Amino acid sequence: MPKVTFITQDKEAVVVDNVEGSLMEIAVDHGIEGIEGDCGGVCSCSTCHVLVAREWMDKVGQPEDIEKDTLEFNPDVTPRSRLCCQIELTKNLDGLVVEVPSTL
Amino acid sequence: MSELHDPFKEAKEKGPILVAEFQGEKIPMILKLKDIREATKDTETYSSDAPRRVPIPSEEDVRTVRQYPLEVDPPVHAEHRKIVEPFFLRPKLPEYEKKLNALIDRLIDEALERETLDVVHDFAIPLQSHALTYLLNVDEKEAELWIGWGIHVFKDGDGKSKGPFMEKYSEQMFLAAEKNPGEDFFSALNQAKFDGRKLTMEEKLGYANIAFAGGRDTIIHTAVNIVDYFAGSPKGLECVREHPQMVKTAAEEFFRVFIPLTHIGRVCPHDTNVHGHEVKAGGRVSLCWSSANRDPEVFKEPNEVKLDRKPNPHVAFGFGPHNCLGAHHARAIMRSLILKLAERVERIEVLRTIELVEHEKEYSRKVGYELLEAKFTAR
Repeated sequence: MPKVTFITQDKEAVVVDNVEGSLMEIAVDHGIEGIEGDCGGVCSCSTCHVLVAREWMDKVGQPEDIEKDTLEFNPDVTPRSRLCCQIELTKNLDGLVVEVPSTL
Repeated sequence: MSELHDPFKEAKEKGPILVAEFQGEKIPMILKLKDIREATKDTETYSSDAPRRVPIPSEEDVRTVRQYPLEVDPPVHAEHRKIVEPFFLRPKLPEYEKKLNALIDRLIDEALERETLDVVHDFAIPLQSHALTYLLNVDEKEAELWIGWGIHVFKDGDGKSKGPFMEKYSEQMFLAAEKNPGEDFFSALNQAKFDGRKLTMEEKLGYANIAFAGGRDTIIHTAVNIVDYFAGSPKGLECVREHPQMVKTAAEEFFRVFIPLTHIGRVCPHDTNVHGHEVKAGGRVSLCWSSANRDPEVFKEPNEVKLDRKPNPHVAFGFGPHNCLGAHHARAIMRSLILKLAERVERIEVLRTIELVEHEKEYSRKVGYELLEAKFTAR
């Protein structure tokens, strides 16, 4: 089972091991501050914004148009931005590192 | 389940806007999701700084106050929003869910005991009114008075606006909270500071006004439409019962298709060309959420209800800086309602209905029901 590291808004690394599935649900289940997932993962609310670590960007891939349009709602969107409800944590992404952006 | 009607389907096929007339004013309605999202971000071109004119039709004849934070623009908008935000985040607390579940259980108990009930007045209005006491953190007894305000505070079935009465009532609540401060919405606003000063009574009334009006008919119609949907689709109820984790996608899909708020307005401070239509300075545009939620360029089979639809980038709670403050509350109520109906109700039969339809010159849109007589059968 894969593991994922969340770099919190306080710059702490929270490692979650033996998990798979929706990255947003993993974050919410583990109380990662700043990831809300209000809409339950249907890409409607943009409250699960993360920044993918540079070395993982290729593997995670680019957002689809629907996600891109929703993401743009965030004033602090960057080229590394993704909505983590659209990222499925699989073996392929074992060791993934994402950062929770600080709120302005 | 048959296809749901989209009153804006033909208009969308013709182009990005529908020019419609409201109270003698020609207003271009922006119909497509992407265009609406763009417009919400451009607050200089499409401004909310328009007291009583953000809703369409406008509300100049039913309220005296500017609604906060709805009818102000960034950057001050953020400060106004911060004042009330803590209350609107309360639905995320675990104890909130418990209270909602207990309330819905009680209402389902009553519904099951009765031969028949009017889901609007015997179920949804009490649900909305009691749930609002939890949100505003006031004594639950207040709900009994609010229940009497009907479906819509400003345009109830008897044709008389409850607007003036609601403003008077809110003023009394603020004055009472001055004497006996507590942890409630009214006390918080009495103590709140904006730009280093206390809020005026008029400003406080503006906050209270939308707290009462904004989440009233919206919650009531959504709840009734959900009950109506499950009456026509017992399989849907069964599906949620077998897969309770589906509740979140199901709720979002109901928000998308049944959005009770057809649209909302923005004012153009300068002459603006809106997708080929000239709006003069001071004129308005409509952000037609209900049309955007059925945009075939975004949603496959937009007029079908799919309880597991994902992604579902609807704009039922608006979009951009003014996105709905009550969204957490609405989500908490509807998720709880869907799960409780699935858990406790075997079937719902609808016996008689009176539809509530918005009739405008260019379109008619069913938003819900004035009455929905039904029979609930327990599992």
